[in-house]
Amino acid sequence: MEALEVQRIRGTNDLVPPEDAQLRALGSALRNHFELYGYRGADTPVLETLDLFLRKSGEEIAARMYTFTHWNRTLCLRPEFTASLMRAYVNHLQDRPLPVRLHYAGATFRYEKPQRGRYRQFTEVGLECIGGQGPSADAEVLASACGALDAVGLRHYRVVVGHLGVVLELLRQLGIDEHGQALILANMETLTRRRADPTAVLTRMLSQMGVNPDLNDDAPDLDASIDNSSSPLPSLLAEFGSAGAARVAEDLLSRADLALEGGSRTPNEIVARLLAKAGRNDPTEQVRQATDFMIRLRALAGRPDEAFTRLEGLLAEYHLDCAPLREVERALTLFESYVAGTTDLTVDLSLGRGLRYYTGLVFEIYHDGANRIAESNVGRSTNGARPDGGTAMAGAGISQICGGGRYDDLVRALGGRQSVPACGFSFGLERVALALQAEGAQGFPARPVDVLVVPVTDADEPEAIGLAQQLRAAELSVEYDVRLRGVKSALRHADRQTIPFVVICGERERSESRAIVRNMRSRTEHQVERADLIALLRGGP
Amino acid sequence: MALPSKGMEEQTLDFLRSCGLRVSRTNPRQYRATIPALEGVEVLFQRANDIFSKVDEGSVDLGITGYDIVREHRREEDGTIMLLPALGYGACALVLAVPEGWIDVTGVIDIAEISAELRSHGRDLRVATKYPNLTRQFLFDHGINYFTLVESSGALEAAPALNAADVICDLVSSGVTLRENRLKRIAGGTILDSQACLIGNRAALARCADKLEITRHLLELVEAEMRSREYLSLTGNMRGDSAAEVARRVTSRADVAGLRGPTISQVYPKIGDEEGWFAATVIVRSTLLLKAVDALRRAGAGEVSATPLRYMFEQKSWSFEALRRHLNVRAEDE
Repeated sequence: MEALEVQRIRGTNDLVPPEDAQLRALGSALRNHFELYGYRGADTPVLETLDLFLRKSGEEIAARMYTFTHWNRTLCLRPEFTASLMRAYVNHLQDRPLPVRLHYAGATFRYEKPQRGRYRQFTEVGLECIGGQGPSADAEVLASACGALDAVGLRHYRVVVGHLGVVLELLRQLGIDEHGQALILANMETLTRRRADPTAVLTRMLSQMGVNPDLNDDAPDLDASIDNSSSPLPSLLAEFGSAGAARVAEDLLSRADLALEGGSRTPNEIVARLLAKAGRNDPTEQVRQATDFMIRLRALAGRPDEAFTRLEGLLAEYHLDCAPLREVERALTLFESYVAGTTDLTVDLSLGRGLRYYTGLVFEIYHDGANRIAESNVGRSTNGARPDGGTAMAGAGISQICGGGRYDDLVRALGGRQSVPACGFSFGLERVALALQAEGAQGFPARPVDVLVVPVTDADEPEAIGLAQQLRAAELSVEYDVRLRGVKSALRHADRQTIPFVVICGERERSESRAIVRNMRSRTEHQVERADLIALLRGGP
Repeated sequence: MALPSKGMEEQTLDFLRSCGLRVSRTNPRQYRATIPALEGVEVLFQRANDIFSKVDEGSVDLGITGYDIVREHRREEDGTIMLLPALGYGACALVLAVPEGWIDVTGVIDIAEISAELRSHGRDLRVATKYPNLTRQFLFDHGINYFTLVESSGALEAAPALNAADVICDLVSSGVTLRENRLKRIAGGTILDSQACLIGNRAALARCADKLEITRHLLELVEAEMRSREYLSLTGNMRGDSAAEVARRVTSRADVAGLRGPTISQVYPKIGDEEGWFAATVIVRSTLLLKAVDALRRAGAGEVSATPLRYMFEQKSWSFEALRRHLNVRAEDE
């Protein structure tokens, strides 16, 4: 029985020549550009502990990760680089003088529905400026991203710049707890998208925050009176104080013969949490205010000159600090010193990113693919993940090719000795390649084979191999005819592979220390002295 | 075709019998049988858990098993097609249940908080389950990231009491077992609603016309039988001048005038009785039974009889159409 063909896993790609060389060359070109800014290459393992990404990357990413248990340890394939590089920084580089500039490229994995430009294994190419502080570093990072795109010849991309500081300050001002803040930030993208239904998003967020939990799946034991709004516990708590209330609660429960046990939680823990929960305020109003604010922020997005004035007005209305706005303004002013002012830029303070660790300036770069810019889709993706992570706008051909920003808390969250400001970004390499392709750019040609060396008989092999090695030493790309099919079929092979020269080593050439060179384009043959061979081949056909 | 032994066996046989697909075996302890109405079909009785893998690997072509089992064991691009996801029996739900004593817990959000709280004390929330894939995805989807799955095939309900786990994810039908083990369900804690379902092996159905035809036969009968449960046939006798005039009276109420309209036939009275009687027959949704009876009364019917339908065929079997489209699309892909 014939063996069944084994297929590749859905959402992954096989790169065959010349695609592999093209993609590698594109990656190298981007990284070479980063080196002009003093970034140096770094690499981290594909395998990490799951915990690394749960620390700060955001809860929802876990559901899209490849995780598995191997000998009782929970491991994962990295869904992005930043957390890994920061871990490496904390592990090895904390004593280095700041900033530490690192660039990287490699495979990353996310379990998402595959579509054009969105793969489950994709390549991130990016950089991190660890210790880079304030607008100066932000501007450099943004400029190096745009510069790298310019360097590889991409023209029609758009940059959207935001800053999480404004929204974070508002959330703190409204007294929304950390869990709620994280949730709202995670939903920011969905909330401010065109045609989003804010009420639906609000309801979903509130239910995720434990307000009016979804009761439509009928848990029969569920007693609606446990709902905080009708519970006497908050007033009890107010009257007796938390210690008193705990005593009352415990006493009542033991009278009701309700065993406060199960699993590994102690009765004290359970009562303490019950009271803590009862003491919480209903966050509905605050969350509503926050979502309203974000929608207004979104409406004020636009070109920097217009957006800044309008945003100042809004921040004043909410009594919010204008510092984040000043930071963006300063970063964009500096940015102009890097580039010749032709970049398509939008300022949008409602720009959220799929990953939780961002704290300051954030940005995304979009490309409109083969289609013209659809007016209605000004610069927004369908979710805020990194370029790979599912942001290709279905149908419109708009894809996010880059995302990044500032994450000042990450080093600390990963166990760093002190808090270190940092910022960076990553490109989705496959998406940049698709964008270039859509623009009809030349791309990066794979290195061609310069010459095919053919022994006439197997007796000529040692001589032919020696010759091939000499040519390789002269940096020529040499194919050697390992199949020993004879001169005629070797010539046919060279023709089909468009190899410009064939060098033939036979007995006579061997004795005369010469070689026959056939120019496949002009279909001419010359007897050439060994000494002149390299010069001739370098001259090209 | 594989049918579940134990657990769902009786219900499955009843279900098939009601569809006109009596399973015939010489002795109830035998693991092989036939369905006389489906020629060429051999029936194998298997454990519901094994049926999915048998169908998936293609050692049997069709199978009835639990929807929960299929969802837990499915892979992308596997060899299985879901033919009918809900056969209307064997209902249960995969739910997250916590100890009754956790009085601070009412919803899934509480579990997320507790998992984070335990983590900050260096402990992991332990979740006992026989459904690791569905459970893991559910927990991740609900922001519960710190947990250890305790895979257990024994009595899960006892795990929290034995301190082998904190919470469990298990199948529940009535909830009695949970209560007896001092566990409770929580809001938003339903991972999956499940019932018996019919699955098939993709390659077998795509390759073999005979098997596809048998599948069509099966789907037609099952679908028509399940649809027929929603309808009743009502017949009322009433006086009238003509069939057309009776029809006008009956159709004046559109919602109970039958699917396409009433069938009116003449009643030939016993000798000596008055002439001019007609029987109006309409097929109505069972939920509209009394409304329809009232409407027939208002139209002049004295007595109304209601009969269940055996089958209710539509223009075509929609589930078979879906299957054929699915197989065609794949054929074009390849």
